[in-house]
Order: sequence, then C-alpha cells, then structure tokens
Amino acid sequence: MIPGGGGAAAPARPVPRDALRRQAPYLFGLAPAAILLAAFFVGPALWAAYASLTNTALVGIDAARPRFVGLANYERLLGDPDFANVIRNSVVFVVGSAVVGQFVLGLSLALLIDHAERRGYRLATLAYAAVLLAWVNPTVIAGFLWVAMFDFYNGSLNTGLALAGAGPVDWLGQFPMLSVVIANTWRGAAFTMLIFLGALKTIPSDIYEAARVDGANAWRRFWDHTLPSLRPIGALALLSITMSTFGTFILIQTLTNGGPGTQTEVIALYAFHEAFRSYAIGYGSAIAVVMLLINFAFAIVYLRWSRARA
Amino acid sequence: MTAVGPQAAVQVDIPPPIRPRERGTPLEWALMHLAFVAIAAFFLAPFVWLFAAAFDAEATAYIRVPGRLTLDNFTYIFRELAFAKALANSAIVAGATTLLVVLTVTLAGYGLSRLELRRKGWITFAVLLLQTMPLSATMVPIYGLARLLGLRNSYLGLILIHAAIELPFLVWLMKGFFDSVPRQLEEAAWLDGRSKLRALFEIVLPVARPGIAVAAGLSFISAWAEVLMVIILVDKQDMKTVPLAFYETFRTAGGYVEVQYGLVAAMGVLYLLPVMAVFFATRRLMVRGLVSGTKGL
Repeated sequence: MIPGGGGAAAPARPVPRDALRRQAPYLFGLAPAAILLAAFFVGPALWAAYASLTNTALVGIDAARPRFVGLANYERLLGDPDFANVIRNSVVFVVGSAVVGQFVLGLSLALLIDHAERRGYRLATLAYAAVLLAWVNPTVIAGFLWVAMFDFYNGSLNTGLALAGAGPVDWLGQFPMLSVVIANTWRGAAFTMLIFLGALKTIPSDIYEAARVDGANAWRRFWDHTLPSLRPIGALALLSITMSTFGTFILIQTLTNGGPGTQTEVIALYAFHEAFRSYAIGYGSAIAVVMLLINFAFAIVYLRWSRARA
Repeated sequence: MTAVGPQAAVQVDIPPPIRPRERGTPLEWALMHLAFVAIAAFFLAPFVWLFAAAFDAEATAYIRVPGRLTLDNFTYIFRELAFAKALANSAIVAGATTLLVVLTVTLAGYGLSRLELRRKGWITFAVLLLQTMPLSATMVPIYGLARLLGLRNSYLGLILIHAAIELPFLVWLMKGFFDSVPRQLEEAAWLDGRSKLRALFEIVLPVARPGIAVAAGLSFISAWAEVLMVIILVDKQDMKTVPLAFYETFRTAGGYVEVQYGLVAAMGVLYLLPVMAVFFATRRLMVRGLVSGTKGL
C-alpha cells in the first residue's frame, strides 16, 4: 500500500518485461519518498501495534525483556476510568473547537469577507490577514500567547473585563476546557474560512440574479442557493478539521498540560503521559493505536466523499 | 477536494469572474466595518501583545505600550540563553529539510503522475491516508526508532523526520501539478535525445514552478515551526533549535509560577518573523496549496 510497495501493487496479470522497464524510472523517483514514509510513518505505526501487545516499559525489568501480553493492554484500556474521561474530553474538545468553533466561525468569516469583496470594502483584507496570521503562527507560540491572554492577575482578557467593570475570571483554573477551545478556535478558524472562500467564488452569480428577479430576499437566497452549494465541500472541511483537532497535542500541552487535574487531558496527551511519565510504553502504544484507528475511520470516510466529488 | 485541489492551484493567475458590485446602505457599511474591527482585534490582540512585550523593559501579561522601550530582552536571550546557536541550528535544519523535501517530492510527484499501473489509485490513496495520521499518535515509536538509530541530538535526525512529516501532503500536491503538465512536452524532449531526468529538469520543472515554490515554502515553515519532534529528539544544549529554546524558556525557566514574559516574547518574535516573511511573500500560492490539505497539530 505504501508508495514503495508500488511494485507489490502491480497488476496481477503478468506484465511484458519492457513495459515494466518503462515504468522503472518512475518507480525510482518514488523510492526516496517511499523510504522516508516507511521509516517515519508506516514503521512507527506498525511498531505501536506490536508494542501494544507487549508490556514494554521505558525503565524497570520490563524494559529489558518485554513480554507478549496479548490484548491485556486493550482490556485495561476498556476498564480504565481515566481513559473514559480522556475520550469524553477529546469529544468535547473536538466538538467545541472544531465543529462549533472553527467551523462556524470559519464559515461566518468566509461569508462576511466574500460579501465585503462584493461590496468593495477594503478593510476586509485586514480581517482576512489577521485570521491567516493566527493560523501560520507556530502552535507553541499560540499556546504561549494564550497563556498570557488568560493570565489571572495580568492577562489581557481580565484587564479588559476590569475596564468593563466585570470581575476577573480564572480562565485556566475554572474554565480550562473553554479556554483551550477558545485558543484552538482562534488558531484554526482560517482553514475553514479559506475552504469556504474558495467554494463561494465558484458559485456563479447568475443564480443569485435569477433568484433576485424571482423576488427572493437575501436570507432566502442564502438559504436556498448558497448553503446547499457549500454542503459537499463543507462536509470535507468538517472531517478534515475533526481529524487534525483530534490529534491536538502541543497547544494543550503548553496551555494547561492537561490540567487542572485531568480536565483538559485529551487522548494525545494521555498517550504521551502514559508513555513518558508512567514509562508504560506498551499501554501508551495501545492508546496510540486506538487513536490511529479512529483517525483512519474518519480518513476513509473523507477519501470516499472527496472521491465522490471528483 | 477537487475544487481547491492542486488543479485549482495551477490557475492562480486567472482573475476571478467579475461580479456586479452593489452599493450597501450606510447601516450595512457601519455594521460590516464594526465586524472587521472586532475580528481583527480578536485575532491580532495576542500578536500586538507579543511585539509590545518583546520591547518592554517590564513586560507583563497584558497589552500595554512599553513603559520603557528596550532591546534588553533580545540582548539577554543572545548573551545568556545561547539563542544565536538555536537560530543557527534552526536555519540549518529548516534549510536542509527544504532542499531534501523539494528534491524528494519533485521526483515522487513526477513519478506518481507518470507511472502507469492498474492499482496506481491505491498508492495515491495510501499517501493521503498517511497524511491524516496524527504525529502525536506515533511520537513514542518515533522516539524509540530515533534512539535505536542514533538519530537523537543530530541534525540528520531532525532533517529526516521534518522532511517525512511534510511528504504525504506535498507528494500528492506535486502529483497534481505534474498531472496538469501535458506529456507531449517531455515526449518531444525525449525525441530530441534528452534523457528522462534531463527532460524533467529542463522541460517539465519550469512549468511546475508554482508547485515547487509551495513545496519549498511549506516545508521551510513547517520545519522551522514544528516543536513536537524536537522535544522528543533533542535534549542536548547545543542541539537546541528555536522552537525548543522557546518552549523551554517558557515552560521551565518561567514555568507556571512566573513566566518571564519579556524574554519569551523576544524569542517568540524572532521565531515568528521568518514564518511570517515566507508565508506572506508567497501568500497567494500558499493559500491555494494549503487549503487542499490539513495542517498542524
């Protein structure tokens, strides 16, 4: 299945030798990429699958001689109340920051900016660039920026609230999940916005003209024409941000490190903590495998849908 | 994905269809501009703070005009925190990664585009599937692998892993670019007696230049910005790159208790500026390229 496996994926029917020779340069071209992908993507995934069936540890007696333990790690996972909590946190985080935050904000931004372009409002460019900047900004800087924004005593948010006469809010202490959701929405809204801006440009304007002649008001035109034509690409965007949000690690690690307690511990942090803090590589690998399987399920739906569009 | 795929990226220079421009009411004008200001404020506020704090002698966590403008934060990170070394390391890693990625994805994208196999769709499918794999899921095995191969605390390890990260998306992107280059071009060159490799470099590559620019820009930004793999692979002082220096100054030197905002902000500014420069210099191309794939952790 990997690019290097191109030879293995060759037709079952015997191929004439010179035809294969004609393909050889192209296969050679694929080789360097295939080697890197095999080493750093396929290999580690397979190793995680293997390690998840053992009691491999970073230190101690199990580090020297890992034993094969079958599905014991997965059984432990099913009964682990911490894992249930982690899954709950991940779902809340994904729904909050990807589905609601990035998607709704991104769609609104796209509609607003597209409308502004039609009106010739120049200031829209500033808003557009600001959203993009938050997106290309390295994630670990984003974490730091929001630590400062949320700071209880001196943060900009509480300073702003104080100016408005409202009391300070203990953002990271009392509303940690809301805080990481806000930060991740801020960071990732650009992607959905860009996707929808691209899609909006492909809607021919004569559809609107026809609707206007029919006497449809702006709201009806939006509801009957704009939204339906955005639906297919919207579904893909939604799946795409769901996958990338599900793997979030650095942003939460820098903002809350999963805390307070385990209130913002999502699946990637849990796998990391089990592996490196508790030194349970086998168990951490089982968590990673679950993560990969969930992601692959989303990815296959995604590829099906995008192929249906092609 | 087709609407925003690499095919769309090729058409960057085609102007958008001219649309009838309508005048809005003054109320609409006011509301829209209020919205722009609110959006810009929300998205820019943290950056305003970052740049103000970096030049502030007594930086705090809230946005303020620096009480006393100073470069002390910058001198401190260079004198005491060896930030010059981190910048040099990052430049080496990001530069070499960019070269490696451009070379690799050009060959692979071209190969994948021109390869004739019945199951070729599967390869493309597999590449895309790999692209959706979260690094945070495989970081533990990658750590183990790097330790096994002696790739920890080495430029080579950082370059290889950062190149690999960007490959799935860029291979696929480049394949799209090459798909749009007609085969007749290179076939004519073969008839002139050029080798396949020479035909690729002299005839095909110039046409696919926008794709190569995206690949170069994106791999530079990604290798410069990425922190997770650096945290895992580097624990030696003189191998630190900018992301790790930033992360450590933020988390350990200050920690939760008392972050030294001015210092971290100064590092942040120098960490962010190259990313901004590359991104905004190639903005149009990058946006077209990037929307066809997901980015970041």
